[in-house]
Amino acid sequence: MKEVRGEVQGDRISLILSGRIDSNNAGDTEAAIRAIADQAPGKPVLIDAEGLEYISSAGLRVILRLRKTNEDVHIINVNPEVYEIFDMTGFTQMMTVDKAYRVVSVEGAEEIGRGANGTIYRIDQDNVVKVYNNADALEEIQHEREVARKALVLGIPTAISYDVVRVNDSYGSVFELLNAKSFSKILAEEPEKMDWCVKEYVDLLKKIHGTLVPKGQLPVLKDTVLSWGEFMKPYLTEEEHEKLMRMINEIPEDDHMVHGDYHTKNVELVDDEVLLIDMDTLAVGHPILELASMYNAFIGYSEYDHNNVKKFQGFDFETALEFWHKVLSAYLETSDEKKIREVEDKARIIGLIRMIRRSIRRKGLETPDGKAEIELWLSELKELLGKTDSLLFRSNELDVEATGENLSKVIGFVTAFLEEADCPLKTQMQIEVAVEEIFVNIANYAYAPEQGNATVRVEVSDDPVTVTIQFIDQGFPYDPLAKQDPDVTMSAEDRQIGGLGIFMAKKSMDDIAYRYENGKNILTMKKKITG
Amino acid sequence: MKEDIVLTIHKDQDGDALKVTLEGRLDTMTAPELEKELKGSLDDVRELTFVLTDLEYISSAGLRVLLMAQKTMSSKGSMKVTGVNDLVREIFEVTGFTEILTIE
Repeated sequence: MKEVRGEVQGDRISLILSGRIDSNNAGDTEAAIRAIADQAPGKPVLIDAEGLEYISSAGLRVILRLRKTNEDVHIINVNPEVYEIFDMTGFTQMMTVDKAYRVVSVEGAEEIGRGANGTIYRIDQDNVVKVYNNADALEEIQHEREVARKALVLGIPTAISYDVVRVNDSYGSVFELLNAKSFSKILAEEPEKMDWCVKEYVDLLKKIHGTLVPKGQLPVLKDTVLSWGEFMKPYLTEEEHEKLMRMINEIPEDDHMVHGDYHTKNVELVDDEVLLIDMDTLAVGHPILELASMYNAFIGYSEYDHNNVKKFQGFDFETALEFWHKVLSAYLETSDEKKIREVEDKARIIGLIRMIRRSIRRKGLETPDGKAEIELWLSELKELLGKTDSLLFRSNELDVEATGENLSKVIGFVTAFLEEADCPLKTQMQIEVAVEEIFVNIANYAYAPEQGNATVRVEVSDDPVTVTIQFIDQGFPYDPLAKQDPDVTMSAEDRQIGGLGIFMAKKSMDDIAYRYENGKNILTMKKKITG
Repeated sequence: MKEDIVLTIHKDQDGDALKVTLEGRLDTMTAPELEKELKGSLDDVRELTFVLTDLEYISSAGLRVLLMAQKTMSSKGSMKVTGVNDLVREIFEVTGFTEILTIE
């Protein structure tokens, strides 16, 4: 029976139907199907209908009878004409019937992006296709679509695929991306836009890192990094490896989003909007983990052979160096070279173990160049491990749920800056009072009776040394400073209990101002902290 | 670490005189503890003394509790505050508490 082939695969019956099935051969077809299906009574059936050209009502009745003994029947790869028959006869309501994938060619198509698991091509003016490296990528495609959807819901500008297609021997997902130009291409073709790119790229990065992800929705990147650390054991001394693992373990749990592969081919300018693409690596974690993969993309992979960045990003190593340095400076909001270098070194440690592991697993030790590259990375890693004690760096922004329980976290965050600036104890306490009063006010009223987040930003500037603290919440518009100050000359009997907090904040700081902007309450306060 | 600094409340009763020694931070998180401690202890007290020598920090939540204690004591006895250090004194001055409280 040439129209039917098939076998029992584990817990599933797999059938392939081809040619024409009508009243002439329906009986034979049914017998052939039964011969296979009876080997695994009642098990789910997957029918691949890629070669099926036509099916008549006699053929359809064969499938209906199969469904009586085997309830779960799933038909895939159905061509458009046959799909119409299934649809008209109501079969698509009774069982899962999947259309055959449209076939798309990427021959001669412009490559506009490349990620860990696939390459993105432009197929026409409005559409791009991401072709997956893995031939059996349907699950990956599903995953990526799912995380892109989550990211979009959480406010990250991204594109979501609308179709799955066949490309050569693998699958692709199709996105609408009108007139898109990647940041890599902009950097390569319009070097004068460097500073603009830095700003947009860092703004988007901060948006990603400022996005809290509900628990369990995305993978925890730190877990992956721990496995990279384990891999390094044979290549380091016992002492070095222990230190590495301790430092990775000390990276705190962090529920903020990280992209995981944030380089300039994955950031697209679409008309006037900046979009993030290639979402399959989306995870949660501490920003140092993101900086590590960014370091690799711009510097790490091209350290030994400077041509790599040109091949991959389209711009030269000097541009990569300049861009990375400017990005790090803008991201950390500092021009202090020492501080930038410090954070870069921390990122490099994680970046290096990732590259070393990757190269060794790809048999890098078996070629002279690969071996030299791994040895270079390994010597750098050992040097960095010798002089680094922690992978953490301080961000000047803290994003927390505005609750009383988080007060000590906020106070601790602010005082770390004050201590570093040698702030006198008395001034420090005054600032703490102001921080407490403002934060508690947000916690109690901004979102009541719901709850929401507050962002606290700290900046210390020189000449004279001044601290600026900003509180940002997205609660009801409310200017706490507008409230009348309490009369502090009244006697105890007449004094109201309460109403003192904001007054104390005003008195504790040199300057305090409120504004409402883009749906946000922004309270900014300043105080000089030199003696 | 700031998170570790809490408030220690030590009570010393002598007849109808109660001495309350505070050590650490009297803020939003710890003020309710002090309020609870005082609520159950002031019934038979005529003379209440706070010793603040080791109080490192006070915010409006702490001031509120002191004000409540002052109001309670005004009607039936006296209250005084001793050992006020520079940091705490400044807060008292700014908020007018130097006029409300009896500071020694």
